Amino acid sequence: MHTSKVLVHNRGHSEIESEENYLPLNVVRLSKRFGGIHALNEVTFNIEEKSIISLIGPNGAGKTTFINVVTGTYPPDAGMIYFQGQNITGLPAHKIASLGIGRTFQLQELFFSLTVLENAMVGCHTRGRAGMLAAGLRIHTAKADEKRLREEAMENLKMIGLEQRASDSISSLPLGERKLVGMARALGMRPKLLMLDEPVAGLAAHEIENLVRLIHSLIDRGLTLLIVEHNMPFVMSISERVIVLDEGFKIAEGPPDDVRANEKVIKAYLGE
Amino acid sequence: MTLLSQIIQYAISGITSGSIYAIVGICWSTVFLITNVLNFATGEFVMLGGMLTWLFLGLGLGLAPAAMIAIACTVLIAIALERLAIRPVRYPSEITYMVITIASASVIKGIILIACGSETRTLKHFIDIEPIRILEATLTPQVLFVIGVLIIVTVGLFLFFNLTLFGKALRASAFNFNGALLIGIEINRFRLFCFGLAGALGALAGIVIAPIAFTGYGIGLMTGLKGLVAAIVGGWSISGTVLAGLALGLLEGFGAGFISPGWTDALALFIMIVFLILRTLSFYPRLKKEPS
Amino acid sequence: MKNSEIDRTHIPFIIMIAVIILLPIIIPSAYIISVMVFVAVYGVLALGMGILIGHAGLFSLAHPVWFGLGAYISGILAARGWVSPGIGIIVSAFFVALISCIIGAPILRLRGYYLACATFALLLIAQIAGGQLTNITGGHEGLLGIPSLSLGGFVFQTDLHYYFLSWALCIGCFWFCSNLIHSRVGRAIRSFHDSEIASKSMGVNIPKYKLQLFILTSVMASLAGSIFCFYLCFTVPSFFGFHLLVELLMMIVIGGIGSIQGPLIGSFVILWLRELINIYFGKIFPVMTSGVDSIFFGILIIIVLIFMPRGLAGWVEQSFNLGRRTYAYFKGPGA
Repeated sequence: MHTSKVLVHNRGHSEIESEENYLPLNVVRLSKRFGGIHALNEVTFNIEEKSIISLIGPNGAGKTTFINVVTGTYPPDAGMIYFQGQNITGLPAHKIASLGIGRTFQLQELFFSLTVLENAMVGCHTRGRAGMLAAGLRIHTAKADEKRLREEAMENLKMIGLEQRASDSISSLPLGERKLVGMARALGMRPKLLMLDEPVAGLAAHEIENLVRLIHSLIDRGLTLLIVEHNMPFVMSISERVIVLDEGFKIAEGPPDDVRANEKVIKAYLGE
Repeated sequence: MTLLSQIIQYAISGITSGSIYAIVGICWSTVFLITNVLNFATGEFVMLGGMLTWLFLGLGLGLAPAAMIAIACTVLIAIALERLAIRPVRYPSEITYMVITIASASVIKGIILIACGSETRTLKHFIDIEPIRILEATLTPQVLFVIGVLIIVTVGLFLFFNLTLFGKALRASAFNFNGALLIGIEINRFRLFCFGLAGALGALAGIVIAPIAFTGYGIGLMTGLKGLVAAIVGGWSISGTVLAGLALGLLEGFGAGFISPGWTDALALFIMIVFLILRTLSFYPRLKKEPS
Repeated sequence: MKNSEIDRTHIPFIIMIAVIILLPIIIPSAYIISVMVFVAVYGVLALGMGILIGHAGLFSLAHPVWFGLGAYISGILAARGWVSPGIGIIVSAFFVALISCIIGAPILRLRGYYLACATFALLLIAQIAGGQLTNITGGHEGLLGIPSLSLGGFVFQTDLHYYFLSWALCIGCFWFCSNLIHSRVGRAIRSFHDSEIASKSMGVNIPKYKLQLFILTSVMASLAGSIFCFYLCFTVPSFFGFHLLVELLMMIVIGGIGSIQGPLIGSFVILWLRELINIYFGKIFPVMTSGVDSIFFGILIIIVLIFMPRGLAGWVEQSFNLGRRTYAYFKGPGA
């Protein structure tokens, strides 16, 4: 395992040879600029299977941009992204999603004109096949699709504990539940890598506990998690590894305790 | 006519109509930049200028009083539009504003149709002197009025937006809506002003072009649209709109003259479509302001 | 719960079919039947445009173009005797699908107001072209010499024939669209109206669905146009231009944006309101009807948009609390 990690780092391109070493995520010298702002500067790291990585850094460090670039919302200016050994750099967002990368949003971005269940069902979109004609004519495959998607979405809602709210509108939900709906939605596509953008911001203590339990159960199911967060106790308690960005650069990487004591990290947060 | 004379003639007519498109385009862009509303009744302001002046002339007023009252009426109508149709909208969305301004345009057209009939009207030229001859092309003095109005409007607006406090405040709120609200700028007053301004400029354009082109209850649609093309292609800025309007007018003039008059209107529309699509291909620099 | 939901969603269709069949029996008036043909035809148009604008958030103002193309292509083919009218309908639908695909691909990349402007320009160009290409279309005087529609030996001649034909199309489209909206694809479409970024990250291929929906609604409009053309045995460019666009927008707004049945209700209400105005004002002020029409409907739209933003369908739903549909309507000033 150690060898293949070095392999990937040093090669920076092409195939990973050993089958069982398909890392969920490997970014190499990822860069993104918005006009004069260098949001990401040659960021490089891996994530291993079934692990929880946190991505932290002061405001404006590029954390959400990182998620946006990896999920294909923005194309990178330079660098490569590999997902399970496959080069996904520059693929459109919907393609990347269907390959198995899910995410949540800082502002939830829920679908307000749909009910909770329908939101979750959109998450399962890639699990269905019926096209426009089949759906309109209501042929057998479309009806079967619908039934299956509904069941899967309900399962996801049960997993996060919101199955009672299935037919409620989004606007009737408090923040904590909205975030959970966002997660149920992202889980709909059975992702292998799930990226959470500030999942605990604004949550009460018991809601955070709930989320931690949920996260651990997801890891048990084989997911890999990347969490962007500001809440340090949460980050420190849950992560196996922490990566720190500052002004687009990766300035530290390692177990939580090491990062916490790292001088560069302290300087980034507190200034000189 | 020799070729050179033809070119001059078409150029003259092109600059004339182009000036009108430029002014109408400014009406679209000031309203849009500051209120984020695409006012599809802009063309009707132009129509009102010409038709109301004709109406008041018919009631016995002189040209100058008729024109001034016509402009005043159009300003009032524009303000009424903002107050009665734009402001009360509780759930603003693009489709709502678009449909509501189209509906308002419909109402205005209907009223004028009933009041003035459906025939096309025209006004007398402002000055009754011989047209100027350039080679074999003719330049009627009215054209100089049109160009003069364009210059005055452009320079005036430039001074207004850059030198007066109110103008600068308007520009600031166009740039950052919430910031403006936060420092206490009264957005409602601004919106009123912008609509009134658009009404005044539109009416002025309508009055000054009426002796050359016809005016009638239905001219609002195409005139307004061509102004919109100028505003879009010009990137919503005043200088851009003026240049785009003039360019459009010239293209139309040469197109109508050398190719075919029937398709002239389609030219402007076609340009708009092509321009909009090319924009999405990132050939053109990003415009300062996009709808939402 | 699932079974009763399925049964419930069938009820409106059964009622509609019953009403359509019974109407000519209860009120055997050729005039009413003929207005109802218009209601059906315009209903199909408003339905398609309503889905584009209300559910997908695509401000396509070019809808009348497909209607006109459907009418003209099948009209020209039939008038020249090149194909039988029935085939003509299919041919025009096919061509409209092709053209809307070619035009849609670049144009659907535009958003919000820009899409509206571009499609508006398209509409007016088409109207101008219709008038200018006199050799093909008969110009502003219109296309004449269109024979009656005959499908498989049966010749559609009376108002009643076209009544049933147009309503068959209307109810069929209504059924299709209703199924579509409540399906996986329909949800995907509504989702990208609400949040493109979230929708994309769920795997929804937005450009594909936009284009497919665009083509689908254009074919619906084409079919309606073909039937319309054979019904009137005549067609002229002014039918398919700005005036029709305003009519459709009014129907959608009054009926309710974001609902499937709204546009159909809007079609019914607007057309019958107009008939009533023509009947009462047309006798008194024959010259002023057009102006009164503009003023009346303009003010009506403004009032509806301000006081009943969700239109009649929304108002009915609120008053009678029918089911749990949420409408994809209230967005901020954002595309």
